[in-house]
Amino acid sequence: MSPLLRALLLVAGVGAAATRIWSAFEQEGAPPEAFLEGGPALWGRLGASPVVIEGLQSLGSSSWPDEEEERASKLGVRLLTCMDPEWPEDLDGQPDSPRLLYIMGRWPLPGPFVSVVGTRRSSQYGSRAAYEIGRAVAGAGGVVVSGGAAGIDGAAHEGCLSAGGSSLAVLGTGVDVAYPRSHAKLFERLSRDGGLVSEYPLGSSPRQWRFPERNRIIASLARPLVVVEAPARSGAMITARRALELGREVWAVPGRINEEGCQGSNRLIYDGAIPLVSVADFISLAFNRQLSLFGEPARTVDNSIAFSEKEQRILSLLEKSGDRTVDNLAVEGKMSPADVFSSLAALTAAGRVYAAGPGRWSAVPK
Amino acid sequence: MNSVQGITLRGMEAVGVEVEVEIAGGLFSISIVGLPDAAVRESKERVRAALRSLDMAVRGRVAVNLAPADLPKEGAVLDLPIAIGIASAMGRLPSVPRGIFLGELALDGRLRGVRGAVGAAILARDTGVPLFAPADNAEEISLVRGCEAYSVESLDALFACFRGERSLPPVSERGPEEERARPEPDFADIRGQAGAKRALEIAAAGHHNILLIGSPGSGKTLLARALRGILPPLSHEELLEVTLVRSTLGLPFERGLTPPFRSVHHTASTASVCGGGSNLRPGEVSLAHRGVLFLDEFPEFRRDLVEGLRQPLEDGVITVSRASGSALYPCRVLLVVAANPCQCGWEGDPVERCVCSGAELERYHRKISGPILDRIDLHVSVPRLLPRELVAVEESGGESSEVIAERVRAAREVQRDRWASLGFTCNAELPERVVKRSLALSAEVRPFLSSMAGSLRLSARGIGRVLKVARTIADLAGSRLVEVPHVGEALAYRDGGAFR
Repeated sequence: MSPLLRALLLVAGVGAAATRIWSAFEQEGAPPEAFLEGGPALWGRLGASPVVIEGLQSLGSSSWPDEEEERASKLGVRLLTCMDPEWPEDLDGQPDSPRLLYIMGRWPLPGPFVSVVGTRRSSQYGSRAAYEIGRAVAGAGGVVVSGGAAGIDGAAHEGCLSAGGSSLAVLGTGVDVAYPRSHAKLFERLSRDGGLVSEYPLGSSPRQWRFPERNRIIASLARPLVVVEAPARSGAMITARRALELGREVWAVPGRINEEGCQGSNRLIYDGAIPLVSVADFISLAFNRQLSLFGEPARTVDNSIAFSEKEQRILSLLEKSGDRTVDNLAVEGKMSPADVFSSLAALTAAGRVYAAGPGRWSAVPK
Repeated sequence: MNSVQGITLRGMEAVGVEVEVEIAGGLFSISIVGLPDAAVRESKERVRAALRSLDMAVRGRVAVNLAPADLPKEGAVLDLPIAIGIASAMGRLPSVPRGIFLGELALDGRLRGVRGAVGAAILARDTGVPLFAPADNAEEISLVRGCEAYSVESLDALFACFRGERSLPPVSERGPEEERARPEPDFADIRGQAGAKRALEIAAAGHHNILLIGSPGSGKTLLARALRGILPPLSHEELLEVTLVRSTLGLPFERGLTPPFRSVHHTASTASVCGGGSNLRPGEVSLAHRGVLFLDEFPEFRRDLVEGLRQPLEDGVITVSRASGSALYPCRVLLVVAANPCQCGWEGDPVERCVCSGAELERYHRKISGPILDRIDLHVSVPRLLPRELVAVEESGGESSEVIAERVRAAREVQRDRWASLGFTCNAELPERVVKRSLALSAEVRPFLSSMAGSLRLSARGIGRVLKVARTIADLAGSRLVEVPHVGEALAYRDGGAFR
């Protein structure tokens, strides 16, 4: 094992406080073996607290780094250090920049990173918007970056994967820990078609503080960042603030002003974030090119299905206003509930409408 | 020594019991042997008082033997044969005719209705002997064809008949009522919910189990209750099956042809739903036989109860086994399951706010999925209609249950004819392997389904269920082939379709 990897494993094992010590050490420009040789005296001089010194010492004298490396190679987890040519430069330059990443899946991932973040308790509208953004990013050849949580995170990944794109989840646990458990399958697909990334040692369990901490990685990688639905106090807002500090472009999806889940994201718009009013416009601006010029637009497949007259009638009713029940559609579209159901199923399969709640339907945002 | 025949129940089945009485000299006592339960043992007090009311004072040591000795006897149904046996042993009766006697005695000699009278009537018919039963039970007994039965008001009347002084009124065979009662609630009385109504119509037509998901106050319970009104009326045989189960529990007889509706609360015990207890009583699932079993607040039900229902739903019968034996009960039910969309009930509601946390939502959705949902072909959402929406739908009006029931009946007939050679009666009963070849799909259906399967994430099992439902939709439409629009509609009721 290289001295650099050993040193960085120690740092990762001890946690965020040690990352700062390492960052101070890097400033001095000494070779990595000096960090290990310097011992407590060096660490203390760099500002390490007694607890950190103790942690580094006890880990350094144990066989943990070797075991960790072995575990990683068994699980097929890559340990990417900051000196690696494939290290993403966007992560550098901050006192708390991560220096070691555990990566499960494909690396490097092609294309610009678009971070999509938002609340775990998303509305159906928010989830659908995130899903469509994910699809569009994939269609434009980009990579979706998000957390691994339920709600917006999951929807963005799903959208990206559904369009055959690569998606990257930055986890607040070890890359081998499926949290939330319901996302185990999603993580499996991500590790195959995209990547799972974490700065925490293997097996790290979910801890409250780790999630805001890893948000800085999502913010640093973001080119640009999209906030879909976020309450005023939330992890997504922490990410947005960080991204603004780093000078990243921030977009926000407008939400209803009476809903708590949208207050943060709406406030971002007020504060100057770019309102995402059309997915197509977002893609052409963010990727600096027209969608149609580049690869396969996200919905070619769907357009090949010709809609029947009844399906078109339903679609245009829903495009006028969403959140409608079968009753409304049957009355306004002047057709039987059976026809409404049949049309809705076809439109759902084509990705043009979605269930916005129990028994309520809306058109997919364009 | 004379013996008199009575019955005891083993499950739904009436088993013959020989009652033998011997009276010896000595101080007065009555002892009953042959595994009597508490109700049988107490019968001596009723019998003694009833006989005294006829001026037959019992004297001496009375031994009553109930044969076969190793069969446990239960209930007050043996009062009458014991009384006859004692009176006969006292030499107060000229002769006792052959027959099966049942009834509980009042202290003044009147006869009260008993549990298991229908089972007894079937036993009497099968063994070819007349049945003497309390007048209270005459109605339900009249359903059993080919049974010679007499209605007995009191011990006095019965003894008078034995003495040849007068005859007993025979119970005449009667079919069920021709007219079915007006369904309550009627579909026409339920405003809006055209989607759910349509799904219920399909459920009734193909006997598909159905899951209703909707916020509190959206009308799930009302809709479920209305379902019984559009189910095909019970046939004579089916009414007899239903009555047999009810009679086993001593529930009052209902002559109507409307299928039963049983609503189970989520606090119910497994034994009360599936059947059980030391005397092997049938549970709610058997009381709902040939009708609707409604489980409201489905995620609140105990896991073991839900799991316990799985096999019976598949087989249509449930075996209740206890240390004291086992009994087989029918339970061919249409299962209606209702659930809120989330713990607090407001997820996706246009007005109310859902206050569930992400973890809570996840836990809830996990609870709602599971093996039993694999037995539910139709998943449908019941949105809570806002006042302005209610006003909008009012103008459109709705069909009455009678009109829908007629379509359902016609669709059922088509199915019965089609599947008769395979031994099924409705589409929902079809096993997977049959679905694949004999649904009469039109040529466009396969390509249509494969174009849909990917984007809707359908599993093989899911497709099988969609096709079964599509077959029912086609039957309702009177179409021989299953066409693309039928499959399209069926896709709207697929697993998970109700959620997102």
